[in-house]
Order: sequence, then C-alpha cells, then structure tokens
Amino acid sequence: MFGYYLDLALRSLKRNKVLTALMVLSLALGIGACITTTTVLRLLSGDPLPQKSDRLFYPQVDPNGKQGYIAGQTEPPSTMPYIDAMYLLHARRAKRQAVVALTSGKIAPQRANERPFYSDGVQTTADFFGLFDAPFQYGGSWTAADDEGGAQVIVIAGFLNQKLFGGANSVGRTIRMNDHDFRIVGVLKPWSPQPRFYALDLGGHDYGGDGDAMFLPLKTAIDLKMGPQDLECYDTVTNMDDLAAAPCRWLGVWVELPDQAAVADYRMFLANYAREQVAQGRFSRDETAMLDLVDWLRHEQVVPDDVRLQAGLAYGFLLICVLNTVGLLLAKCLRRSREIGVRRALGATRGAVFAQFMVEAAIVGLVGGVLGLGFAELGLFGIRHQPAEYASLAHLDVSMFLFTFVVALLASLVAGLLPAWRACAVAPAPQLKAS
Amino acid sequence: MRILFQIRPILAALRSHKTAVMLLMLEIALTMAVLGNLVFVVYGTVQRSRVPTGVDESRIGVIQSIGVIGTANSGTIENDLAVLQAVPDVVAATYGGPPLWFTQRDSVFLDPSHGHKLGRVYEFQGSQGLSRTLGARIVHGVDLDDNEIPAVTRYTPTMEIPVLMTKALGQHLFPDGRALGGVIYDSGNNPLRVVGIVDHLRGSITGSPDDDWSIVTEFMYGHQDGGGGFMIRVRDAAQLPEALRAAAAALQKANPGHVSNKTFTMAELRADYFKSDLASGRMLVAILLILLVVTALGVSGLASFWVQQRRRQIGMRRALGATRRDILRYFQAENFLIVSGGVLLGAVFAYALNLFLMRRFELAHLPAHYLLAGAVVLWLLGQLAVLGPALRASAVPPVVATRSV
Repeated sequence: MFGYYLDLALRSLKRNKVLTALMVLSLALGIGACITTTTVLRLLSGDPLPQKSDRLFYPQVDPNGKQGYIAGQTEPPSTMPYIDAMYLLHARRAKRQAVVALTSGKIAPQRANERPFYSDGVQTTADFFGLFDAPFQYGGSWTAADDEGGAQVIVIAGFLNQKLFGGANSVGRTIRMNDHDFRIVGVLKPWSPQPRFYALDLGGHDYGGDGDAMFLPLKTAIDLKMGPQDLECYDTVTNMDDLAAAPCRWLGVWVELPDQAAVADYRMFLANYAREQVAQGRFSRDETAMLDLVDWLRHEQVVPDDVRLQAGLAYGFLLICVLNTVGLLLAKCLRRSREIGVRRALGATRGAVFAQFMVEAAIVGLVGGVLGLGFAELGLFGIRHQPAEYASLAHLDVSMFLFTFVVALLASLVAGLLPAWRACAVAPAPQLKAS
Repeated sequence: MRILFQIRPILAALRSHKTAVMLLMLEIALTMAVLGNLVFVVYGTVQRSRVPTGVDESRIGVIQSIGVIGTANSGTIENDLAVLQAVPDVVAATYGGPPLWFTQRDSVFLDPSHGHKLGRVYEFQGSQGLSRTLGARIVHGVDLDDNEIPAVTRYTPTMEIPVLMTKALGQHLFPDGRALGGVIYDSGNNPLRVVGIVDHLRGSITGSPDDDWSIVTEFMYGHQDGGGGFMIRVRDAAQLPEALRAAAAALQKANPGHVSNKTFTMAELRADYFKSDLASGRMLVAILLILLVVTALGVSGLASFWVQQRRRQIGMRRALGATRRDILRYFQAENFLIVSGGVLLGAVFAYALNLFLMRRFELAHLPAHYLLAGAVVLWLLGQLAVLGPALRASAVPPVVATRSV
C-alpha cells in the first residue's frame, strides 16, 4: 500500500513542478537556518568535560561587606580571596582540588634573532591537571611541595613546545618567562576545552583558540608579582603588592567529589566555614554556593545573547516556512478534490486518503531536508568566516545530520496534517456530480 | 473608487477560502513581527557602532609595547615621549592607552570609608600628556597641568590627585551640579580632586549610559621604564598612518631593546571593537532577506493557485464586460486586503515579541514607526508577489467561459 501512495505522491508532485519546488525550497531554507543556528547553540552550550562534569564542583563564598546585603537574597560572587581559596585547598576535603587564576607572561625565544612574545597562562595548583583530565605528552604535573615552596617550574602546552623546541621532549629544560627562569616539568597534549570553563569570570576568552600556553604554580606567580587578569576588591587596599593578604577576590576553586554523599559533606563543610568566618568577623555574609560544572556554565550564561537570539529567530523562521508549506499543500490538495472523490467512490477509505497525502508531505520534507542540509553547510561556512571566538568550531556532526532529517520530517508532517485532513473530509458525491 | 466597489465581492470570495486566507494572514503577521524587531535590533547595533568615544579618534594612533628586554639598553618613558614628540606631524604623545582598549574600571566613592558606592567608572591613567593626546574637549575648569600632576616616584597611597571627569559622571556623582572642585575616592585611598570637566569620554560602547562615566589621571614619568601602550596624536588625520610608522621606527631606533608588538590607529581599533557585533547584524539581515523571499514565494504560490482555480470565473467576468485591468485590480485588491489583515495581526505579534525580547535581551521598546515601515514593506512585497499571477489572470481570454473545463 505504501508503495502505491509513494507512486501517487510522486506523480502528484511532478504534476505541478513549480508549486512543489516552492514547497521544498521554503522548507529547506527554514531547516537550513534552524540547523545552522542550532549547531552553533549546541556548540556553545556543550559540555566541555563530559566524562566527569557531574563530579566537578565550583564552591563559592561571599567576602563582600555589609553594604547592600539582604540575608538570603544575595548570591556569592564568582571568585574568592586568597585566604579562603587556600583554606579550601589545604583542607583537602575533596578527592582533588585546584585553585585557578589567569595570567599572561612575556616569553623569551630559545633561538637568537627571534622576538619575545606574550602568551596566556594559568596560575594554579598541582591537582589542576588530574582534576580536569588534561593529558600529558611528556612529563607530568608539579608536586604539592612545589606549590608550597613557590618553585619556578612550569607546564607548557603542546603548541608552545612546538614553537620553542620543535616538538621535542623539553622536560627538564628551561624557559625564560617575565625575565625569570622556569624549569619545564610537563608538556601537554593538545587540550582546549570549549568553553574554557575554568577561566569563566577570571577575565579571559571563553571560547576558541588552542587553549592556554603555560601553567605555573600560584605561589610562584604571586612571588614574582605576576598579577591575575581580573581582580575585584571589596575593601580598602593598603598594599596592592601583597595580593595574598589584600581584601580582593580573584581566585576560582574547583573540587572533584565522587558521589552524592561527598557532595553533601562538602556543602556542609563550606557552610560551616562561612559561618565560622562570620563569627570571627571576617565575613558579613554566610551565603555559600556550589554548582556542578554544567550548572555553573548555565549560571554564567556562557552562550552569547546574539547566538540565542539568532537561534530563536531561526525557529520562528521555520514556523513561517511551515505555514507557507501548509498553504501550498492545501492549495494542491483542494485542487485535487475531484481525484479524491473518484478514489473515495472506488472504495478508498478516509484513512487511505489521509495516508496518501501524508506520504506526499513526507516526501516534500525529506527532499527539503536534503536541500536544507546543503543550506546548513552553507550557513556554517558563513559562520566560520565570522569574527567570533567560536567561529572555527562550527561544523555539522553526525547527530546534527540526523537531527536535520528529524526536523524536516516533523515539520513536513505537521505541515501536511491540515491539508490531509481536509482531503480526507472531501465528500465523494458532489465531486463526481460536478464533472 | 472602482476598487472600493469591488471589495464586497472580494470579501465574499475570500470567505470561501477561509483556511488558506487565515494561513496567509498568519504567515504575513509572523513575518512582520520578526521583521520589525529584527530591523530594530540591527539598527541599534549600527547606531551604537557610530557613537563617538569623545576623543580625537581620526588623529590618534597607538603603539603597543611589551617594554624593554634585557637591562643593557633600558629606556625611560621620558626619553620615549621625547622621541615620539620629535616625529614630524606629532602634536602630542603619551604613555597610556585609548578608549575601547584595555580600559580599567574601578568603583568610586564619595567618602574615604567606602561606605557609599557611587558606581563603576572607567579610569584612564597615563603619563604627562594623556589628556592632550586624547584630545577630549574640556567644557569646564582646566586641563591637567604638567606642573601639578604628581610625580610617579612620589606617589603615596593617600596623596590628592587631580582628575578630569566626564560631564555625565559629574552629573551622576554631584546632582547639585558642583562636580568641579569636588572630591571622590576610588578603591584606593587617594582623594581625587576634579579640576576639569570633559564633554564625553567613553571607555567602552555598550549602549549603557555609564559608558560615559570616566575619569582621567596623569602621573609625571621620568626615568622609569614601562611597557603597555604609547599613544600619539597627529595634526592631520591623513598623515596618521605615515606618522605612526615613523613613530614606531623612531622608538625602536632610540631603544633597540624595545619590543613593539603592533601599531594601530584608533579607527582600526574601533573597527575591530565592533567587528563581531556588525557581523552578527549582517547574519540577522541575511536571515531576514531569506524570510522575505520565502514569504513572497508563499504569497505568489497561493495566488497563482487561486488564479488557476478561477480561470472559468475570470473568463465569465471578461465575457460580461470586465476589462483586463479590472481583473488585474481584483487580484491586487484581494492581496492588499489579505496583507492588511496580516499586518494588523502582525502589529500585535510584533509588540508581543518585543515585550519578550525586552525581558530576555534587554531590548528597548519598539517604536511605532518600525511597525508602520514594516507594514509598508509587506504591502509592497505582497503587491510584487501577486503581480505575476494577477497578470496571468488578466490574460485569461473571455472564451474560457464558454468551454467546459
């Protein structure tokens, strides 16, 4: 039966080529726009660390003063002061924990006649690499003792190793950064989580690029007065050179908690700490927060407004295209009232007529989907040439490929419903009489 | 007037195609809602990209410098500035950055205990000559004077520092209009005394009124070395690229250890600053154009279907004396009525969408003239789309009436 409907549908579509082409084109444009924007949206709202994002948490405390405080209604800020970050680090209540700030440094070239250049980096603590599954090509992380001692050791990214040492194993060699010598202890494989979740709110880019070029112990960076990229002070600063003691917040803390019980314990621990600080008079606010990685990204609204606007717009656009297709399909099917009358008179049930028209709509949808895929590729090609941070990441993957056809079929079947219903409601007798 | 007499039969005819007419109206209404809001969003971006920073943009160039490598040939800012000033056509040079670059933002307070926060302002900090190089217009008070700005070597955390302040910030901090001579505090302890008010100085351009909340401070630099940004201002905008090249070369020559990353003009900086916004705007316009094409195709497709369906009736009307022009007018008037219905519904949709966007994306209220413009565009689009089918209808010969289908 299906084969027969297919044959009928193809005949009918061929009979009015212009109308068919219009339907397919309009549906394809709508689908193309939707798939393009959805791909970008998915790219931007993706999980940068799917294997363990549900075990990574971002604790927050609130060192801000009394001014503007309404108990229970204020949210803790996104970064914390050195004292609190160090307390959480040294407490070792989580499986792994790391403190993070962003920095940049002037790297001297290895060969003569080359110019020094600036590179982005991360000031952090030894657990960082294990915490975030950053893969090593050579060597490994520094030790907790290096953290405490402020050792001048460094982990560099693969691309920096390529640039400085031609990709050779450089562990144990020295690079000069900000006029200080650092001993390389590890070289990373290419590692660039998108978005760069650990850098959110620390004053850097969220997307794109090859990742950070260098990683060095936090204490070392403080000793060498390498300031963080972002700093917010909540009280009068008497000595800006002593960042460790200044009433300023500039550090992010990440912890790995293996199960629900550990999460509950840590929340309790964090809340107790904040209450203690309030009791001691250091804090005025006892609010704490601890979101997991995915919730933290959502909270920080990493997806830019214009991308969300474009995606919403594209779906509105698809709706208009579907309406368009409904109109055209309806026109076609009303014109075939007589044909339907004959089929009904010869014994076809309403269901059969309905099915026939739905098959026709589905064919329009599938062809529209194929063409829409072409438009989506075109759209993504356009996106890749936009000056956005995420531009180079915009590619169609297998799941979006399948999603295109789901959208296409769904859209065309929805569009076909009204015309098919109208078609099967045609009463055969008047149609036969009229001829 | 003839068209008016035709409206009743048109309405009667449309009544027998209720579903199709409703669909078309709905499509036009949605198109209008998207059209109005989108044009509003894009136009807002374009307008924003034209807001001036308040500095002498066409004559300012920046030399980004990492500073000096090695101690063998260390330079001093004093010397660097002298070298830059000696470049032909340069009227002012300073150690400091322009707006839209890495502008620092800090909280300001009216009392030293920081009890009452007044907002976050852009802080333009630099060496002697910063204000001269920026070229911001001073409307009250005086410019910063090289003899009165503190030497960077004598800086203490409590000394008073003279500042310039924008008019907008002055009005915000001192609603009584006594900004000139007033004192504020930033997150450090230094009292900042306002000696002059500048017209405009925007640290960034986001569309928010606090873009124009800025202060300028200068410190006297001498034998210190520094990296970051050097800025020059030239006499003649046409000479800027040449002067900037010469200035970078002079800096390099005077101080071979100087590592200058790049040089750029303020115009280039501005283009770069708005690049991504404008690209996103272009993308929205592309979607919009496709949308209009789709709507036109839909209108046109349905109209040609109706023409085909009514060939017999058209033949009859022709046979009964209607001219080709009458037939043409009939379909044009029909289209106008449908689009008008769509536009009315569309105005409601557009406002609803605007309300939603205002909540989600901090968009402003959609002004009524956008709706009017959207309506005109859709009327024209509808007439354009129906023209082909209507002409085909008017070409139907009267003899069709006598044939059985």
